Amino acid sequence: MTTLTLAKALNAGLRRAMEGDDKVVLLGEDIGRLGGVFRITEGLQKDFGEQRVLDTPLAESGIVGTAIGLALRGYRPVVEIQFDGFVYPAYDQIVCQVAKMRTRSGGQWKLPIVIRIPYGGGIGAVEHHSESPEAQFAHTPGLKVVTCSNPVDGYWMLQQAIAHDDPVIFLEPKRLYHSMKAELDPALEPGPLFASRVVRSGTDATLIAYGPTVQTALAAADQAAEEGRSLEVIDLRTISPLDLAPVAASVRRTGRAIVVHEAHVSFGVGAEVAAAITEECFHSLEAPVLRVCGYDTPYPLSRVEHEWLPTVDRVLDAVDRAVAF
Amino acid sequence: MSDLIQLLTTDGVRVEDPDVAFAPDAALLAEHGDEAGVLRAMLRDMTLVRRFDNEATALQRHGELGLWPPSLGQEAAQIGAGRALAAHDFVFPSYREHGVAWCRGVELVDLLGLFRGSDHVGWDPAEKGYAPASIVIGAHALHAVGYALGVLHDGAVGTGDAARDTAVLACFGDGATSQGDVNEAMVFAASYNVPVVFFVQNNHWAISEPLTRQTRIPLVQRASGFGFPGYRVDGNDVLATYAVVQRALEHARSGQGPVLVEAVTYRMGAHTTTDDPTRYRTDDELEVWRRRDPIDRLAKHLRATGAADDAWFAALEAEVEAFGTDVRTRCHAMPEPSALASFDETYVEITPTLAAQRAEVEALLALDETAEVAR
Amino acid sequence: MADYLLPDVGEGLTEAEIVGWHVAVGDTVTVNQVLLEIETAKSIVELPSPYAGTVEELLVEVGQTVTVGTPIIRIDDPNAPAVEAPPRPEDVAAEGPETLVGYGPRETVSRRRRSGAASGSVLAPGHRPPVAPPAPAARPLASPPVRLRARELGIDLNQVRPSRADGVISMADLTAAPAATAPEMPPLKDREYREPVKGVRRMMAQAMVESAYSAPHVTLTVEIDTTHSVDLVRKLRQDPRYAGIHFTSLLLMARACILALRDHPELNARWDGEAITFRRYVNLGIAAATPRGLIVPNLKDAADLSGPELARAIQQLTETARDGRAQPADQAGGTFTITNIGVLKVDSGTPIINPGESAILAVGAIRRKPWVITTKDGSEAIAIRDVVTFSLSVDHRFIDGAIASKFLAQIAAYSEDPSGLGL
Repeated sequence: MTTLTLAKALNAGLRRAMEGDDKVVLLGEDIGRLGGVFRITEGLQKDFGEQRVLDTPLAESGIVGTAIGLALRGYRPVVEIQFDGFVYPAYDQIVCQVAKMRTRSGGQWKLPIVIRIPYGGGIGAVEHHSESPEAQFAHTPGLKVVTCSNPVDGYWMLQQAIAHDDPVIFLEPKRLYHSMKAELDPALEPGPLFASRVVRSGTDATLIAYGPTVQTALAAADQAAEEGRSLEVIDLRTISPLDLAPVAASVRRTGRAIVVHEAHVSFGVGAEVAAAITEECFHSLEAPVLRVCGYDTPYPLSRVEHEWLPTVDRVLDAVDRAVAF
Repeated sequence: MSDLIQLLTTDGVRVEDPDVAFAPDAALLAEHGDEAGVLRAMLRDMTLVRRFDNEATALQRHGELGLWPPSLGQEAAQIGAGRALAAHDFVFPSYREHGVAWCRGVELVDLLGLFRGSDHVGWDPAEKGYAPASIVIGAHALHAVGYALGVLHDGAVGTGDAARDTAVLACFGDGATSQGDVNEAMVFAASYNVPVVFFVQNNHWAISEPLTRQTRIPLVQRASGFGFPGYRVDGNDVLATYAVVQRALEHARSGQGPVLVEAVTYRMGAHTTTDDPTRYRTDDELEVWRRRDPIDRLAKHLRATGAADDAWFAALEAEVEAFGTDVRTRCHAMPEPSALASFDETYVEITPTLAAQRAEVEALLALDETAEVAR
Repeated sequence: MADYLLPDVGEGLTEAEIVGWHVAVGDTVTVNQVLLEIETAKSIVELPSPYAGTVEELLVEVGQTVTVGTPIIRIDDPNAPAVEAPPRPEDVAAEGPETLVGYGPRETVSRRRRSGAASGSVLAPGHRPPVAPPAPAARPLASPPVRLRARELGIDLNQVRPSRADGVISMADLTAAPAATAPEMPPLKDREYREPVKGVRRMMAQAMVESAYSAPHVTLTVEIDTTHSVDLVRKLRQDPRYAGIHFTSLLLMARACILALRDHPELNARWDGEAITFRRYVNLGIAAATPRGLIVPNLKDAADLSGPELARAIQQLTETARDGRAQPADQAGGTFTITNIGVLKVDSGTPIINPGESAILAVGAIRRKPWVITTKDGSEAIAIRDVVTFSLSVDHRFIDGAIASKFLAQIAAYSEDPSGLGL
């Protein structure tokens, strides 16, 4: 049992995936000698060589497009996009090519590619470094989208995503890379990849979060408990496909649901979750499903980013409104 | 051509080039008296920009900036290019062109806002002829081409009227030349023969990746593949860079189309303050480039030729120190941004949805204030 | 004097190890002189000094891992601007520093766009994999209009027997149900429950017990017409010297206490059983209710600050506490405390003195009240005024009622007529 940060857990997960399958290759900018700007691939080029850990030219479309070809040749490419805001030059390759290759081949080809993207804000960064693009990919048939909220999940989910035969967008909450630590027992058997999980039980309302906002939701539940209110927290983990069963079971008990994410509120994951809950749990709802999310502006200047991001207070405020409805 | 154009050696000795000569334009000469005056002014430019850059790096360590991309070592490339521009030319920079910004009359302290997280852009791009920093690598090369296409359609090239003929300068680095956008920009520029100068500062490193990861040939040779001329210049030689960019801009303004300038220089500092270059490059390499320092070489030249004496250097040093202090003081005093601004800046006219969200944030901010009263 | 707070040197790093100091206590340092080396998760970095002056204290040791925002060195720099915390992630990690988040006590208001009333139609989820059917223990099933009607009629849906086969309560089922005769109490889940005491709450408990059982407390109260103070706050908000600063009448109360403590140094002193330590400085504590409990960060050397500096310092202190960034150092070394119980809509109380101090002032809610005033012609009249109550607790071991009363009278006078506060 070792205590690891999220960054180190992801590194360990990559290492184990590479040890287990020599077709696993990593591609990205600065991931070799430097170990990535967040050090997620630290030491891997040294140990596995330049053919398995490729420092690529500075071109995101090139990285993803090349990964497609590698996958068609039987490799399992794991792509690192340096920052969320830099995934868009690769958007065409991801949305038109990665997502559709299986369909375009009449179901003959499979494309086991993982695209890792550090995402989310709260680190005082400049523009294009704090984005949450999950809805753009979740809206694209052919892609699967998952995100971890803690080191233990990071370690296991990344290995499971690499072993999966469909392309997976793997979102990593960069705010937690170095700040969040947890004990990891590599001997344990992980749960399934595409499954949501209740991470705190409660009775009065259900908070649905993923990635960086799981911590926000848990902190809100802590505070609500002091005020005598019991909140259930669900870590979605998988965004596409959505694992609605634990969510619906929870909302049928609590009657109230609040979705919390950093991405813009409109047309986002929260909208999909709210629609799904309304369809599944209509007769159990005491209040409309509420969303506590980033606003519909480009990500703001870092000195005011905490007025923009979902905070414990905004979450509790939504809980108040749901209860008072 | 792949030969390096140089007009001032690392020892500060002026040398001739068969194609290019250092000939400051009339405006610079008028402003600074004579050629020696222009050289002194360029040394002052470089020294002030370096002091600013060092101060900004320190301010990041003081906790005043979230991030800073140092321009250390690239002063000659940037001042040479910047001083070659005419007032009505237009620049699309990346995020490291502090020296070019200085030449455009941008207050250097205003460059800090983006990295402090307190302001997007601290100047009027139209007034300064200097666009906001472009963080997404290479995207702005296409914008420069489009702007130049507009210049062309406006008939502002090839008229022979120096006050009218306009060029556009697109600044990016060696790493950016791998991006699709940059290559597409060159295709478009050639296709429409627009008045754009692609100014590549080849500083040898794209974060941790050496030049050889991006190219197997000198970058300048890419120009011929796209069908326009290219120059390769010693980017640590402010005279040569000025002369080459001056010629490239003239080429563009006169209606002959795009030009690529590869300024060969070196990023002496980290990629940004979050980077640790000791992980990927050697002290030996750094030492080679330290000996090619752009400021040292011009200072040597000015001393050797008697164009500047000890008193002049002492005055410069005093000015530079006061400048650094001023930058620090003004950084501390930069106003805090409003959390409501992004709602007003997203669209020309705020949408109903956004107006409602803006009201929500306003109410939350008011609650903050109430909570403060309560304490 | 200024503290250098450990900055985030690289996009979201939250801690660093101290590798080595380049300076020692007593050294004179210049701005940007390298002070120390730190190692982060990404690299080794030299930190240049933001201040010029004499090194007073190295606040962290080599080998220690400290979180971003922690004071690492204290430099005696007379020109230093107020220490400002660098932007840092409001991380709510499970481990690491105690995280206090929230806007503090407030009432819930509806700020959101409301959607229109839902229709009663049942949507068939045709494009989604079926999920598990409702568990038997699920809450009563009903559409929103039925729920609304039940609430209006005072009917508990748990008591209604659905007539539909799918178990959903219909509008017709409601009419058959008996109306509630009395408002129902929320069901008891358990007759008792225990919550472990830890963190800030545990610290608060210890401090309060220590204080209450060692220092005999005496509490005096006074009610004052504070209308002029309220007016002054409004005026100062238009004053360019205060532009960009958020402040409230707390600023005036703080200033009044600082001035009155000069004349009554006992209330700014500490009793240790053998001697009384008088202080020629005021570290003004301001009690803050946070989600994790009560904390009392203090403003160091508050008496040295001009009006706008004091206002800005209070703003920073409250923001820091609100954001959960208050560090232990912020809470240590206080000399006098103000607690604002007005937030709880309370007028007066018997506050307990913060350990190490000798007095605490509780400021009640400012209320509009009828008040007897003397008009210009000398006659008396009743007017509506802003009225506040001050409650002052003192350590009676060495502060007698006379001293405490004089202090209280002085701040009351300032509150009635704040023109002497020099703001």
